Amino acid sequence: MLTGQPGWSWKSDFLLGGTPLTLLLDAVSAFFLVLLSTVAAAGSIYAIRYWPDSTHPRTAPSGRLWWNAMITGMGLVLTAANGLHFLLGWELFAVSAYFLVSLERGNPQVRAAGWLYLAASHVGTLALFAFFASLAAQTGSWELGPMRDNVELAPLFWLAFLGFGIKAGVFPLHVWLPSAHANAPSHVSALLSGVALKIGIYGLVRFSGWLPTPPGAGWVMAGLGCTSAVLGVAFALGQHDLKRLLAYHSVENIGIILMGLGFATVALERDTPYWGTLALAGGLLHVWNHGLFKSLLFFGAGAVLHATGTRQMSRLGGLWRHMPWTAALFTLGSVAISGLPPLNGFVSEWLIYSGLLLAGMEWNDVAMAVIPAAVLLAVTGALALACFTKVCGVVFLGAPRSAPAERAHECGWGMRGAMLMLAAGCTLIGLFPAMFWQVLSRVAKDWSAVDMSSRAPDALYTLGLTHVALAVLGLAAGVGTIWFLRNRVRRSVTWDCGFSAPSARMQYTAGSFAGIINEWFAWILRPTVHEIRPTTFFPSAAQCASHTPETVLEHVVEPVGHKILRLADKASGFQHGRVQSYIFYLCVAILVLSAAAILSGRS
Amino acid sequence: MNEILNLLTGLAVGLNLLALGTSRLRLLIRAVAAQGVLLGLLPLLLEHGAMDWQLVFITIATVAGKGFIIPTLLHRAMRTANIARELEPFIGYISSLLLGAAATIAAVVIAQHLPLFPEHVGSLLVPGAIALILTGFILLIGRTKAISQVCGYLILENGIYLFGLLLIHATPMLVEFGILLDVTVGIFIIGIIVDRIQRAFDSLDTRKLTALHE
Repeated sequence: MLTGQPGWSWKSDFLLGGTPLTLLLDAVSAFFLVLLSTVAAAGSIYAIRYWPDSTHPRTAPSGRLWWNAMITGMGLVLTAANGLHFLLGWELFAVSAYFLVSLERGNPQVRAAGWLYLAASHVGTLALFAFFASLAAQTGSWELGPMRDNVELAPLFWLAFLGFGIKAGVFPLHVWLPSAHANAPSHVSALLSGVALKIGIYGLVRFSGWLPTPPGAGWVMAGLGCTSAVLGVAFALGQHDLKRLLAYHSVENIGIILMGLGFATVALERDTPYWGTLALAGGLLHVWNHGLFKSLLFFGAGAVLHATGTRQMSRLGGLWRHMPWTAALFTLGSVAISGLPPLNGFVSEWLIYSGLLLAGMEWNDVAMAVIPAAVLLAVTGALALACFTKVCGVVFLGAPRSAPAERAHECGWGMRGAMLMLAAGCTLIGLFPAMFWQVLSRVAKDWSAVDMSSRAPDALYTLGLTHVALAVLGLAAGVGTIWFLRNRVRRSVTWDCGFSAPSARMQYTAGSFAGIINEWFAWILRPTVHEIRPTTFFPSAAQCASHTPETVLEHVVEPVGHKILRLADKASGFQHGRVQSYIFYLCVAILVLSAAAILSGRS
Repeated sequence: MNEILNLLTGLAVGLNLLALGTSRLRLLIRAVAAQGVLLGLLPLLLEHGAMDWQLVFITIATVAGKGFIIPTLLHRAMRTANIARELEPFIGYISSLLLGAAATIAAVVIAQHLPLFPEHVGSLLVPGAIALILTGFILLIGRTKAISQVCGYLILENGIYLFGLLLIHATPMLVEFGILLDVTVGIFIIGIIVDRIQRAFDSLDTRKLTALHE
């Protein structure tokens, strides 16, 4: 499909839920299916060693069951061309994801994360139910397909945006995402972050292409994209938990994808100038890229967790020595996610940049919005780089901060193989970006009949060549450095500021590394710091602990939830078991209804 | 014909006030029984002249059920439970009477605003039915003893029956019998439950049933 074959569709003879099962595979579906199959395959290989029967006898079989159910559900969602079956697939994948997240049910944190995920997911599903039901009510059938001419359908887009936005983890709707990703087994986190979030993006892509979009939809998408990108990375910087940090980076990258898609939608309203196609290509390619490197990073984090038993970065350190493969692959993923050349993250971000900057050169109303967006994207990239410098530095460099980190061991070949596979994908897209342009142009055509030239822009070829050159140079420099380190360098201790007995705890911690940047964002992060400052010249005890809360969850969702619960408690006073009062309620209701009926009948 | 019909309906509505104003359960049950008999006779009057065997059968069954079988069951329940008076009503007897009067007036006012068939406009059938239903509700809400509440339920059912008379030609006999049978069986079961409540709580006060909720 992605190489240019015509779309495939199939309609069953039997009825499922009253309508024939309709499957449709076009370039958009195929694009996301490729990602699904890649990450799912890598995850399956990874899970063989990561979650084997020998160490998890109770949960490994059910894990496999739900893993496959989730993949099937996502596959159905991607190919369904019928609202009802879309919802069936959606629910199947959402529920099996819940079971996967809460595989380790014994741990109360895991249970809480699972519940939060399930609740948030069902809010989204509810919005989608409303969306598909009103769509079916207005079109008269559950069948889905391009219907851009039917202008009355435009307001429905907001329902879809809410439903898919929750699943994708767009900034104010991301509350479920960090804890679910952090507490799920790592291969599940990879599938969740790499693919499940993209199913939300798929929904947005699909229905912003098939349905007419209300005016302003593109701006909202782009605006929320910018917010997610910057705040996602800001929150990531405040985390001390390795997987939670990665989860917040998913919020950031979803923001980058939405930026591309949002500006593409804006461009669509203006007959798609060239910059729009670039932004679209960048957004779409980032879907693949993020799927690849985020899964790679979660696998890496999983390997670390597997080896040391902790996700707390302040207990790790010095792992490069024990786990060179994991460390190298994780660093490669970090380079990719920070948007550094010569890897794939740079390619897609570069496409978005060039789209935005081209739009900025037109000097119209769009330019005024686009230039700040480009700046925010740059800020995001810089902060992501800072964040991953922190991760790699704290986890893999320095000296081990705890006994488990000292005894860490390299992961097996199964896990390494899965990571190598994803790393190869990252590198391939990074070095030969022009190869993928045609794929993107076909997806754009099926998205909303956007006519992208099938020949990649020349700059992309140049970029690819530069990347290859950079990679070769980098490799050469790396080999040279290793040789130099092995042969010419005298080893000695670091300068210790006159304190001659440093211990492993006297290193930069994750919190101190990101301290300054955290202060910049203190207005939204609202970190809590508990410290006991040293008071005398020869202090005995001093302590400092910082914690970044889930601001949106703790300061918005929970207070509102408590209010609703209090109201519900008051309402439950009406249910007290006294038959007479129940009959009284009934009577009042009947009287009010009949009065209403009579009055409305008369007027 | 219509005058006799209105007279009977009026009498039935008058019995409402008796039912609302008394504290003695025996009198309450008698009032409900009398109401049942009065209403049971109505189908004969509605049918203009032509005596249909079906109609006669319904009349006999209704009069027997509402006037004799159900009151007997209630009397027996009262005897086994060993109570004779409603002592602590939620709504006092005077207030109940006033409410009942208000409900009757409201019923007449409401009936004037309902879109009725022309042949029903002059009769008391519709206001009577509404008045009976409202009175039934007042008894159900205002009384605490299970037997008084059953009587309220019966008056409510009488009101529904009166409404049903409007449709007597459209309703098959089977449905009429179904309703009658339901009511009788319902009362039978309530008689048993009353006994159980009495044994469990040493009283027929339904307020004590709140002890059962979670």
